[in-house]
Amino acid sequence: MSFEKHLMICGATGCISSGSNKVQQALVEELEKHGLKGKYRLVMGGCPGLCEEGPIIVIYPDEVFYCRLKPEDMTEMVEKHLIGGEVVERLLYNGPDVDSPVRFYDSIPFYAKQKFNVLRNGGIIDPESIDEYIMRGGYRAFSRALEMDPETIYGEVKQSGLRGRGGAGFPTGMKWQFAAQSKGSKKYVVCNADEGDPGAFMDRSILEGDPHAILEGMLICGLAIGADEGYIYCRAEYPLAIKRLKIAIDQAENYGLLGKNILGYGKNFKIKIKEGAGAFVCGEETALLASIEGRRGVPRHRPPFPAVEGLWGKPTCINNVETFANIPLILKKGGVADFASVGTEGSKGTKVFALAGKIRNTGLCEVPMGITIREIIFDVGGGIKDGRKFKAVQAGGPSGGCIPEEYLDLPIDYDSLTSAGAIMGSGGLVVMDEGTCMVDLARYFLSFTQKESCGQCIPCRLGTTQMFNILNDITEGRGKPEDIKLLEELAWAIKKGSMCGLGQTAPNPVLTTLRYFRDEYEAHVYEKRCPALVCKALLRYCIDPEKCIGCRRCTKECPVDAISGEKKEPHVIDQELCIKCGACFDVCPKKVQAVEVLSEGLPEPKVNETCEEGCKCQS
Amino acid sequence: MELFIDHCCEKCTHSKESACKDFIACCVEGPICHENPECKAKRKTIMARVALNDKFVIC
Repeated sequence: MSFEKHLMICGATGCISSGSNKVQQALVEELEKHGLKGKYRLVMGGCPGLCEEGPIIVIYPDEVFYCRLKPEDMTEMVEKHLIGGEVVERLLYNGPDVDSPVRFYDSIPFYAKQKFNVLRNGGIIDPESIDEYIMRGGYRAFSRALEMDPETIYGEVKQSGLRGRGGAGFPTGMKWQFAAQSKGSKKYVVCNADEGDPGAFMDRSILEGDPHAILEGMLICGLAIGADEGYIYCRAEYPLAIKRLKIAIDQAENYGLLGKNILGYGKNFKIKIKEGAGAFVCGEETALLASIEGRRGVPRHRPPFPAVEGLWGKPTCINNVETFANIPLILKKGGVADFASVGTEGSKGTKVFALAGKIRNTGLCEVPMGITIREIIFDVGGGIKDGRKFKAVQAGGPSGGCIPEEYLDLPIDYDSLTSAGAIMGSGGLVVMDEGTCMVDLARYFLSFTQKESCGQCIPCRLGTTQMFNILNDITEGRGKPEDIKLLEELAWAIKKGSMCGLGQTAPNPVLTTLRYFRDEYEAHVYEKRCPALVCKALLRYCIDPEKCIGCRRCTKECPVDAISGEKKEPHVIDQELCIKCGACFDVCPKKVQAVEVLSEGLPEPKVNETCEEGCKCQS
Repeated sequence: MELFIDHCCEKCTHSKESACKDFIACCVEGPICHENPECKAKRKTIMARVALNDKFVIC
């Protein structure tokens, strides 16, 4: 039986969190009410990327993209569109970047500069159907690779120019070659799905939306290096991804694509899933391998590299999710040339980025390597929220660097980002506006890496703690002039002395903010002032008596009764009592705006020469 | 034949225990090992049920 229409509901974690399950339930009820169940196909599919506009339903073959849906919209959608054949205009995309509501992907500016390679099936197929993956060309590359010798397989990957998408950008084909040439009858393929960067969800989206692409990439890798066993190390916080991977593995086994004598070629391959327990450091390859083995997830010295001595001491090829998802595209007939035709000289293909922070279109995008930061943020991302001004973008997660406005035209590729002090990382882009304090931001990212340090090596364990303490002092008004130099010295010592990538990159946010926003550090240290009005200890809330109308809203809202004043008379904030929560600022009527936030510098501490021992006047 | 793994007729012998080398190509373009319009139609029916548009199936 064929269906009249296909209703592709985004069933990825982002849309589920904004209510797509409830929307789906309401849709099912509405269809049942009209006796239409079975006439239309409902699929909880993968992510179309535009998370900001979720929940999303795309209707085929009509090609209509409905967004920001609520359960109560389903009545109108069913009656007007499905029964009446008329598009519900009010549910179409109608962002500030279009003149009027638009109906499909091709007219939504978010998608205009994107190129879908890795995300090719997201929102298109049912991720729980191997048949649909096969219909989309799935397992064709694997079938082709079965006829090839290992040298030709990794040779094509080398020729494509694919570099590891997990962060470091090591040439994938070369890594495969090392593993292939390592001696040993037992070898492993490992997929690193331990995506831990705050604000990053590229891998999750691929796993949830197109799990067979990962299996196919791993199978091809197995053929190239001579491995018969693979592991997917996925963080336990991705339950939907794990569920869909399990379904995909079961299906592939049932179809004879995993297991023994695959497709009659005499090759064997099995894949197991290992759930990570949440340690960020387990994203580091040697820590990840230790965790799979059941040991404490801490990194070890390299060499030997995993390609020579990896899982249980055997040659192991580790790649991340996005890297494996690219492999079927490269190994298909004519795939190398297609893949290499996109991107820059040193960075081929596309890259998936997770857009987060103060950007209008939060979500996932896949763009050709070489696109500029400006194009990603303003053309794809729709610019900065609420008409505010762009300040910086943090590329590469907590180990990445902050790139300022003057680098907006920097092309995104591995080498350009490194030259700017950032890293490609796994693809997280956190956008900041003028209201972000760069010192506070560096402190936040460092607090993350400091907490996630495994503690094994001293530069990382103690160095990041020292840096964090200094940054804390600076943001709380206790910064000393020598702190800036000390931060730099510590940062370089940690980078040079740490054993693994976590420590080697942890200082990046501090180094790049010092490089590009040094004036903010100096304002905090020398003037005890936070120019972005973020660091609480350096702020003061006060009420302008000329503007205050005495409405008493702030007095009612203040949690510590720090505001006094008669009704219809100007109010005053007691600075001794004020905890700087900002509640008064938030409730003061917009047309009045009597509450001001000031950061004018803290008064010099009074030193009383005649104080007796134990006097606390300086504290 | 509801799924590609199902046999279109007795001539198809693919299973995970006794896998056919042409299985993947056969899913979309098959049958490959024999000529039979009905067997071809069965595969087309599977694809037609879920194909979103005429660009959906990639050979």
